[in-house]
Amino acid sequence: MTRREFLFGGAAWLRAAAPLGFSFTDVTAQAGIRFVHNSGAFGRKYLPETLGSGCAFLDYDNDGWQDILLVNGMDWPGHKRRRTTLRLYRNNRDGTFTDVTRQAGLDVEMYGMGVAAGDFNNDGFTDIFISCVGQSRLFQNTGKGTFVDVTRKAGLAGREGFSSSALWFDYDRDGYLDLFVCNYVKWSPELDVFCSMDGKNKSYCTPEAYRGATCWLFRNRGDGTFEDVTARSGIFDSSSKSLGVAMLDDDDNGWVDLFVANDTQPNKLYRNNGDGTFQDVAVRVGVAFSEDGKARAGMGVDVGDYDNSGLPSLVVTNFDNEMLGLYRGTRRGIYIDQAPRTNVGRITRRSLGFGCFFFDVDLDGFLDLLVVNGHIDEGIRALRRDVTYAQAPHLFLNRAKEGFQDVAPEVGGGFAQPKVGRGAAFGDFDRDGDLDVLITTNNGPAYLYRNDRHNANHGIRFQLVGTKSNRDAIGATVRIEYGGETSWRMVKSGSSYLSQSELPVTFGLGRRDRVDRVLIRWPSGRTEEYKNLRAGRTYVCTEGRGVRALDGF
Amino acid sequence: MRKSLASPTGRLLAGLAFTLAAVAVFSWYALRQIAGLRDLQTQTVDRNRRDSLQLLRIQNDLNALALAMRDMLDNTEPYPLVAWKAQFERIRIDLEDALRLEARFAPASREPERQQYLANSIAQFWRSADEMFALAARGDTEGARRLIRNSLQAQQAAITTTVARLLVSNNEAEEQAAAQIQAIYRRVERDIYLFLAAILAAVTLTSLYLIYSNRRVFERLETLSAQRSDLSRKLITVQEQVLRSVSRELHDEFGQILTAVGALLRRAEMRGLPTDSPLKEQLHEVREVVQSALDKTRSLSQMLHPTVLDDGGLEKALDWYLPLFEKQTGIRVRYEKKGVCPAVDDRVGIHVYRVLQEALNNLARHSRASEAWVRLHCSPEQLTLEVEDHGVGMPDGAPTRRGIGLVAMRERAELLHGAIEFARPPEGGTLVRLRVPLTEGSRNGN
Repeated sequence: MTRREFLFGGAAWLRAAAPLGFSFTDVTAQAGIRFVHNSGAFGRKYLPETLGSGCAFLDYDNDGWQDILLVNGMDWPGHKRRRTTLRLYRNNRDGTFTDVTRQAGLDVEMYGMGVAAGDFNNDGFTDIFISCVGQSRLFQNTGKGTFVDVTRKAGLAGREGFSSSALWFDYDRDGYLDLFVCNYVKWSPELDVFCSMDGKNKSYCTPEAYRGATCWLFRNRGDGTFEDVTARSGIFDSSSKSLGVAMLDDDDNGWVDLFVANDTQPNKLYRNNGDGTFQDVAVRVGVAFSEDGKARAGMGVDVGDYDNSGLPSLVVTNFDNEMLGLYRGTRRGIYIDQAPRTNVGRITRRSLGFGCFFFDVDLDGFLDLLVVNGHIDEGIRALRRDVTYAQAPHLFLNRAKEGFQDVAPEVGGGFAQPKVGRGAAFGDFDRDGDLDVLITTNNGPAYLYRNDRHNANHGIRFQLVGTKSNRDAIGATVRIEYGGETSWRMVKSGSSYLSQSELPVTFGLGRRDRVDRVLIRWPSGRTEEYKNLRAGRTYVCTEGRGVRALDGF
Repeated sequence: MRKSLASPTGRLLAGLAFTLAAVAVFSWYALRQIAGLRDLQTQTVDRNRRDSLQLLRIQNDLNALALAMRDMLDNTEPYPLVAWKAQFERIRIDLEDALRLEARFAPASREPERQQYLANSIAQFWRSADEMFALAARGDTEGARRLIRNSLQAQQAAITTTVARLLVSNNEAEEQAAAQIQAIYRRVERDIYLFLAAILAAVTLTSLYLIYSNRRVFERLETLSAQRSDLSRKLITVQEQVLRSVSRELHDEFGQILTAVGALLRRAEMRGLPTDSPLKEQLHEVREVVQSALDKTRSLSQMLHPTVLDDGGLEKALDWYLPLFEKQTGIRVRYEKKGVCPAVDDRVGIHVYRVLQEALNNLARHSRASEAWVRLHCSPEQLTLEVEDHGVGMPDGAPTRRGIGLVAMRERAELLHGAIEFARPPEGGTLVRLRVPLTEGSRNGN
C-alpha cells in the first residue's frame, strides 16, 4: 500500500463513517425489465456495435408515472440470427413495469442508438425520436397508447447517417419543438476500415479513421413537418464527430443554446443568435478543448449549476487517460475545467465515460454527478494492464465546499459493479420524491436502480405544461428561493449519452420544508412567480393558468 | 646556531589567495557558460518549439480545410456549398491566431521574405475562398467547385508544403542548437576536470608545505624545551652544590671557630677570677652569646643542607625534619613509612627532600590545614612520597600557576626521571605524589 492509497483509504473510511443518507437497490428484475442490448456484433467489429445504446424516462401515457424506453440495435444485414427491437415499459404504478412494445407499435427493427422524447405536435402526448445508424425514426404518439412512424410524413426520411444523441428544443421560440440530431462519422459497412490494436486482430477504430459528419437541425414547421435548417442556421460542420448534446442558455438571453461534445474534434458551443442562426463560441469560452489545448474524445454531456452560482456548468465524459471535463461557468463568461484541479479528474482519468448527468441524488440542495463508464473494446485488458472493458460507474456526491466524492462503492445495490456502461438517465419512477437511475450497457442488460432515501431531506418537484410555449415546456427554467438559498433547473431534452431523463424538475432543499419563491421563465418569454410552496410534493404548473399541487410526488 | 625560522604564513596566504582566485575565475567561467546555455535554450530551442507548435496548428487547420474542400467536392451532402462558410470562418479565425503567434515566435534566423511569402499565400487563399463562396452564393456551384479543384486545393497544398519546410528548418535549427548545447556541456565538463586538477594540485602543495613547516616548528620547540630542561637541571644542581658547600663551611669553619671561642672563654672563666668578679659575669654572658651563635650557625647549616641527609640518608633526614616542621608550624604530621627504602644516592635524596620541604612549606602557607600526612613508600623499583592535607586545596587545579616552587618540584621530578602529580583527595585539600624510579645507578653504593 502506498502512502497515497493509505491516505485515500483513510479518507474513504472517514466518508464511510458519515452516512450517505440514501442507498441504491437494483430493482431491474423485480420491476420486470428483462432487456438485453443487441449490438449485432458478429466478429467484424463494425464501429457502431460498441457505441450503443441509450435509454429514457418518459411519461408516454400521461398518467403521471415515468415509463421507460430502452433503445436497441439489431443484427447486421446478412448476419441475421434473431429479431431485436427497442423496448417500451409502461409503469404499473406499483414498482413494476409491463413491456408494451408490441401493443404500442414500436417493435420495429432498426439499428437504434439514441432517443429524444418530446411532444413535437403539441397534442399533449410525448412523441419519440430514435436516432439510428442508417435512417432515424420519428414515432408520433396517438394518445391511445400507440405510436405511428411518421418519419417520411414529417420530412425526415432519406437522411441516412450514423446518428447518435438527439434532443428536442424550440430554438426559434415559435412554440413548436425543433429537433437536433448529432451525427458521429461517415460510416457504413462498405466504408468500414481495418483498425488493429495488436497488429493482427481487428479492433474498433477510433474516429480518426473516418470522416466527420455534420449534426442536423430540423425546424418544426408546426404542421407536423420539418425542414432541414442545418446549413441556414450555421450548425453545419462537416468536421464534427458528435456524440453528445445538451441544451443551456449560456448567455442567459432566453434563447436556448447547444453544447455538442465531439470525439477527437473540438467541442462546439452553438450560441443561439435569436435570428435563426447559431454561432460557435466554444473556443472563445474555453470548452472546445482540454486545459492543455487538446481536442478530447467527448462522449456524454450535461449542464447543471453544481455550485449554485446561478451560472451553468458543463460536464463532458471523455476517453480513458483524458479525465472528464468539468467546465465550471464563471461570471466572465468563460468556463474553467475543474477536473484537473479536483479529485474528479484523478478518479475519472482511468475510466472511459459515456452517460453522465447532474442530479441531486440525496436532495441536499447540491447537484451530484453520475457517470457511467465502459471501454469500447473487449480486448483492451490484453493490451493495457490498467484498463478493463467493464468499468465501475462513478457517483460523485457533491459535498459543497469539500468538493465531489465518489461514493459509488458505498451506495449498494451492486451499483459499483463494473459494467460496459453507455446510456444513463434519471427519473422518479416510484414517485417517492427522489431520483432513480436507469443505465444501459453495450451488448448487455439495462439496470434500474431505485433510490432509497434514509435522510430527512426534503424535495420539491415541478412538472411544467406549456400552452403558448411548447407543451413539454422544454427550455423553461425554474428558479427557486428557499431560506436564503437559490437554485435553478432547466426542463431539458437530450443530455447524457444517447439518453433522456424525465422532464419534471426536482430540487433538493436539505432540511428546509418550504420554498419561499418560484420563478418560472417559459420558452415563450413569459415569466411566472409563485410564493410559499410546501416541499414534499409535485406541483403541476401550466403556462398562464397557475399551479396545481399534487397530493404527493 | 640554527638559522632563525621563517614564518610560513606568507606562503600559506599566497596558496589560499591562489585557490580563491581559481574558484572565482572558474565560477565566472561556469556562469558565463550557463548564461550561454540559457540564451541558446530560450532564444533558440524554446522559441523554436513554440514556433513549431504554431506551425503544427497551422498544418492542422490546413488539413481541416483540405478535408472540408474534399467534402465540398464529394457532393454527398444535401446542402449548398455556402453551408461550409461557417466552418471555413472558424478555421480562418484559428489560422489567423496561429499565424499571429507564429510570426512572434519565428526564429530570428528566418528570412523575412519567407515569412512574408507564407502570409501572402494564406491571404491569397482566403481571397480565393471568398471568391469561391461568392460564386456559390450566386448559384454557380460548378464554378465554385472548379475554383476549389483548380485553385484552392493547389494553394492549400502549396501552403502546406511551405509550412512543412518551415517545420523542417525549425527542426534543423533545433538540432544545431542541441549540438551547440552538447558542445558547451562537453567543454564545461573538460574544464571542470582541469579546474579540479588545478585546485587539487594547489591544495596538495599547500598541505605539503604546511606539514613541512609544522614539523620544523615542532623540532625547534623540542630543542628549546630540552635546552630549558638542561638549564634548569644545571641551575638546581649548582644551587644544591652551593647550599651544601655553604652549609659545610658554616658547620666546619664557623662552627669550629665558635666552638674554639667558646672553649677559650670557658677556660678564661675558670682561670681564677673571683667568684664575685663582674668580669666573670660578663665572660659568662659572652660565652652564652657565642654558644647561641654556634647553635644558630649549626641550625642554619642544617637548614641549607641537612647533614643528616649525607650522614644518615633520606629516611633519617625525614625523621629529623618532620618533628622540626611540627614544632615550627604547629601542624601535626602523621608520618607513615612502608617498605624498606634502599639507601639512595645523595643526589636522589636531596631532591626528594627538597620536594617534601617545598610541599610542606606550601601546605603550611596555603592549606590552612592543621594536620598533614606524609607517606614514604619504597619498593625495590620505585620510591613514592605522598604529602597530603585536607585543607582548602589548590584553587583551580592548575598547580603550574602557583609560582616557582611547583615548577621547581616538577624540574626535580624530571631530574630524577620520575613524575609528580597534584591531586585532590576525596576529603578535599591537596595530595602531592612523587614517584621516583630506583635504578641501579640511583642506589647508594653502586
